[in-house]
Amino acid sequence: MADESPLVELRGIRKSFGAVTSLAGVELTLGRGEVLGLVGDNGAGKSTLMKVLAGAIQHDSGEILVDGESVRFASPAAARRKGIGIVYQDLALCDTLDVASNLFLGREPRRGPFIDRAAMHAEAGRILRDLHVRVPSTRQEIGRLSGGQRQTVAIARAVSTQPDVLILDEPTAALAVAEVEQVLRLIADVATRGVGVILITHRLQDLFRVCHRITVMYEGRSVDNALVSQLDTNSLVDMITRANATDADKEAASDH
Amino acid sequence: MTTDTGNETGRPPGSAGDEAGPDNERGGAPPVDPDGRLARLWSDANKPTLLMVGVTVLLFAMLGLASPDFLTFANLSNLATQIAPIVIVGVAMTFVITSGQIDLSVGSTIAFVAAISAELLVAGLDSSLVIVLGVLAGAGWGLVNGWLAAYNNIPPFIVTLATMSIIRGVALLRTEGFSVPIDNRLLLAQIGSTDVLGFSIAAWLALVVAVIGAILLNHTRFGQYVTGIGSNEESVRRAGVNTRRVKMFALVLTGAMAGLAGLLIAARLGSGSANSAEAFELTVIAAVVLGGTNLFGGRGTIVGTVIGAVITGAIANGLTLLGMSPFLTPIITGCVLILAIWLNLRGRDIAQLTGHLLGRRE
Repeated sequence: MADESPLVELRGIRKSFGAVTSLAGVELTLGRGEVLGLVGDNGAGKSTLMKVLAGAIQHDSGEILVDGESVRFASPAAARRKGIGIVYQDLALCDTLDVASNLFLGREPRRGPFIDRAAMHAEAGRILRDLHVRVPSTRQEIGRLSGGQRQTVAIARAVSTQPDVLILDEPTAALAVAEVEQVLRLIADVATRGVGVILITHRLQDLFRVCHRITVMYEGRSVDNALVSQLDTNSLVDMITRANATDADKEAASDH
Repeated sequence: MTTDTGNETGRPPGSAGDEAGPDNERGGAPPVDPDGRLARLWSDANKPTLLMVGVTVLLFAMLGLASPDFLTFANLSNLATQIAPIVIVGVAMTFVITSGQIDLSVGSTIAFVAAISAELLVAGLDSSLVIVLGVLAGAGWGLVNGWLAAYNNIPPFIVTLATMSIIRGVALLRTEGFSVPIDNRLLLAQIGSTDVLGFSIAAWLALVVAVIGAILLNHTRFGQYVTGIGSNEESVRRAGVNTRRVKMFALVLTGAMAGLAGLLIAARLGSGSANSAEAFELTVIAAVVLGGTNLFGGRGTIVGTVIGAVITGAIANGLTLLGMSPFLTPIITGCVLILAIWLNLRGRDIAQLTGHLLGRRE
């Protein structure tokens, strides 16, 4: 992450829904190959911020810089073109389609007017092998896979579009222990390829396992930013719950 | 066909340098099927469809025993002609139901096209032109359904319930309820009475439609998106697919195929009537659902639909052969529909189904 211009820089991002201020000026930076943990209580605005970065919603004011270039995304497709991939919490998979079909949804390889299933399955197998993702078969229906397998397929799909930035919203929530391991390994793996990863999670142990740095959000603001190597569980919990912040600080934050 | 690397459209970046990538190089994830081909065939097979194959065999055996005329070639050829419109519309309906929609207006579209095409023939238009216009008129009504349902977010159940009334109403208004005779020297009437290799042209057309439908559903992006939309529309939309267009096109398909069926029915009867194909939508939906296509969407089978049509057709045909009242047919059809839905629900309840049909998100 020792690049001159960071991969992504968010400056003073604000977003209101009617009278409700969801984002009240957020600052965030992300470097290449860095895994950034985005933490904060429910309703702190983490998911909203990531939707702004992924083009799913548009911010009111503030600036998004990708590779030092100021951008504004009108749609998710526009964000994708700029190399920003996101895996939403609901994964956006089709349960009755098989693994390969989900991996290639919307960009199926074709031979003439027909889907080239042989090529699709071969390529899907290659992508999954590459990422060390284990599924019984690329012909398996997604609905019959475990939660962890579904999650890794969803991440593999996002990675296979070769994004520069990968946003993961609670990828390890509701997974069994072994499945969490698989997902975390995958995240670390993706980061070593130079992709900047933003990880939204409530699981502190995940932050210590894969994140280099964390940004803490509180009431629609980014309030803290620290290297994970300089933190322990207690100081991290204090940062999230704002235990050391004075009441005046809290009020200032919640004024918006 | 050779297995060239065919690196044309749609390949994701990074797929270059992949020489026909074989599945069997063992790496992290072996996508080779672990428990053999048979096991996979079994696990991939649509169980409700398999069940219906068994039911069909049983039904044919029973009807064959009950009536010596049932299993004759003449009767089976006749059965093929009878179920042709159900198969033709049923194949299109499979797309509609698989995409999580429904089309109740097909019977009315059949009546509309049958009546209007007969009128056009009387007015002196050439048969070939009338055939084209008939299919286009059906597709046009499908476009109305699709535009209202997919682009204006009115549940297709409501839209097609309304257009069911409107379309037949227009035909009734035009013909004032009279059936319009078709001169049997005209090409369209000839189509209704010509046999090729022992089967009617309608039966052959149904076969062609079924084959094209199966290819469309299983081997094209359109079919893939229809299935995907029925499974999780939002996922397909986020993948960058214009899901509204796909949903609208499915309804255009049922409209066009209802138009074709309307032409064939008029050709066979030698007249076009705004009163034809009453409750036809129920027979078609029963056939599709009986075949194993999921009423909630996400899973469709063309083979199943053909089997479903054969079952519903064989029951009606068998009842006639056994000398039962033809008025039993609608009763039996209704019962079959209820049975089919009951089998189809498989654990979900009817409240979820009505919620789904009325467009509430689950």
